[in-house]
Amino acid sequence: MNIKQIAKEAGVSVATVSRVLNHPEHVAPKTRERIQKIMEQEEYKPNWFAQGLNFNRTKTIGVVIPHILNGPYMEIAKGIEDVARQKEYVTFVCNIEKDLKLEENYIEQLLTRRVDGIILMFSAQVDRLAQMIEEQKVPVVVVGENQNVSNYNAVKVDCRLGARTMVEHLLENGYRSIGLLCGKDPKQESLDILEGYRRVLEEHAISEREDYIRFVDNTIEGGYLGAKKLIAGGPPSVIFTSSDSIAYGAMDAIKDSGLSIPRDIAVAGFGNYRMSNLVEPKLTTVEMPFHKMGVYGARLLFDLIEDGNGSEGIRQITLQTKLRIRKSCGHSERIGEMF
Amino acid sequence: MLSTNFLGLNLKNPIIVSAGPWNRDGKALRNSLEAGAGAVVTESIVSDTFLDVRPRIVCDDNGAQNIRLYSDIQVEGWEHELSIAKKNDGIVIASISAQTPSELAYLASKLERFGADAIEISVSNPMMESLEVVASHADVVFEMTKEVVSTVKIPVMVKLSQNTTNISKVAKAVKAAGGSGVSAINTVRGILGVDIETAKPTLSTYGGISGEYIRPLGLASVATIAQTVGIPICGIGGISSMRHVLEYMMLGASAVQIGTAVMMNGIQVVSNIIEDLACWLDEHGIESVHEVRGRALENLKSFDEMKIEPAISMDNGVSCTENCNQCVVSCIYNAITRDGDTISVNRDCCEGCGVCACVCPAKKLLLTW
Repeated sequence: MNIKQIAKEAGVSVATVSRVLNHPEHVAPKTRERIQKIMEQEEYKPNWFAQGLNFNRTKTIGVVIPHILNGPYMEIAKGIEDVARQKEYVTFVCNIEKDLKLEENYIEQLLTRRVDGIILMFSAQVDRLAQMIEEQKVPVVVVGENQNVSNYNAVKVDCRLGARTMVEHLLENGYRSIGLLCGKDPKQESLDILEGYRRVLEEHAISEREDYIRFVDNTIEGGYLGAKKLIAGGPPSVIFTSSDSIAYGAMDAIKDSGLSIPRDIAVAGFGNYRMSNLVEPKLTTVEMPFHKMGVYGARLLFDLIEDGNGSEGIRQITLQTKLRIRKSCGHSERIGEMF
Repeated sequence: MLSTNFLGLNLKNPIIVSAGPWNRDGKALRNSLEAGAGAVVTESIVSDTFLDVRPRIVCDDNGAQNIRLYSDIQVEGWEHELSIAKKNDGIVIASISAQTPSELAYLASKLERFGADAIEISVSNPMMESLEVVASHADVVFEMTKEVVSTVKIPVMVKLSQNTTNISKVAKAVKAAGGSGVSAINTVRGILGVDIETAKPTLSTYGGISGEYIRPLGLASVATIAQTVGIPICGIGGISSMRHVLEYMMLGASAVQIGTAVMMNGIQVVSNIIEDLACWLDEHGIESVHEVRGRALENLKSFDEMKIEPAISMDNGVSCTENCNQCVVSCIYNAITRDGDTISVNRDCCEGCGVCACVCPAKKLLLTW
């Protein structure tokens, strides 16, 4: 059954049926309910393509993600999809495998396919790509990689504060020599973690040791190699990492070196990936609100799609991390794990 | 008689059904409004993924412990729920909870758009967040309130916690940030009990205690805020009768919220309280409910102001309750002896502490001089 037949059946105009589909709030409740009932009975499915022509909408959004095998990115994507589904939108997820050229290529493809909006997730080239999307009058929201995003609607996480909280916790537990394995990406978040780490050491008058800070690939392998180097050079008493992936690698390296966690070297991560509660010992880490990053990213995008950039101007949401105390840092107060 | 102004809203009575699963969606909110409530507060709306812990509520005769009572409907879904709730008018307050000012402001602006009449910021949840509840930090509460107040046009109230050293400092922060009111108190962190055979706590983690257990804490918090901060207060904690409503109002509350009593006894409790309240006011020749507000505050005295009266316990002659020996047992000064229906108080031993007058089921003993 098509829209004309539905209209005929309900004894209303095609325009009224169309309004029920697109702006139901503008249709008298009784009429609306009658038309919706007929649609249900007839299992009517609107022709989205025709609707897109009519309203200049395709009811699709695009999400560009750095690496599909990286759990946290999928959690963010799920947050986005959870909102999009409620809005009856379809989400295109483009995996770029950290390939900058591919990222640009995918965005061109999404624009060609007339998506209604795009979310850039931890993009290393926000500046250029966001501008490219906006030039096509397509709404864009930036999630993560917080550098130079002041002109865009964005979701940020206060990683500096997250790192502060962790380093303070480590100091409280008696660790005075704290190493840092800092991922090369995401760039801004890693720098924020480094900054938070440095600031706390400074406040506690602990001199920073160059050889305790190492920049590594944000992978398990990167963490393994980085920790091996730290161990070879006379290890710190705890290794703090800018991601849980790096922490898993570091734990592996410590165990391979015949050392014990946390007795010989403690480990603290950043992210609270799903596995972190299952590794042995369970990883103390800083929880990133991944799902929520996606949820707010999508919310900001749909606000732009539905209302334009109207009176509200640039809207940025800052989210908070949370310390998750487990066993890899040898704390003694069980209550720390409870909240 | 019962109508009152709270947060600049005209409530037909001061009874508000609090945030909780009994107000989990539009239909439930309507149900609360239809029971006669002056206003209703939605279950707290958050952006976190729903944690489906079971069981999450335990209770006994004096109250309940819960370990998670957040809405499982995301803010997008509340557009529809609020339209149902507000179908036949009625005041709906949206309760929101989040970790940062920008998040709270976002949720508040959406809910304002969906038709909420006011916002209640709930940052006093004693579960999960951290050892110290957010609402114990006046500076954080200030930032959060300020951001929300500057984002929406509807009134904003903040739900405060007893889990803080100085509740009045936090209430002052709300006022300084432009908040229209405070509600006090949220549930108090607690553990309802332990099964001594299995050594298991009644719920598997710390939770929020509500009901009878916390009413004295709520009353004191409301009085403290009323005596220190000029801000409208909504009293919460263990209200299940008209008497409790009046206690809160006499200590400075402009309105009250009821939650646990609705959960335990059904929404009918709201209609009963409203009816009883109207009767009481009528019997006492009080024209408007807000006349009772703060009446008991002037009777709250400092130790300096208390008159030292040599009151001791006296037997007023009514008959004892059969087989009761409560006054004798509980007299910590060994001043009371009993012979059949005759109670003797040794005037030299009685210190006038008042325990016997409280415990006597026959109301036979009273303090006088």
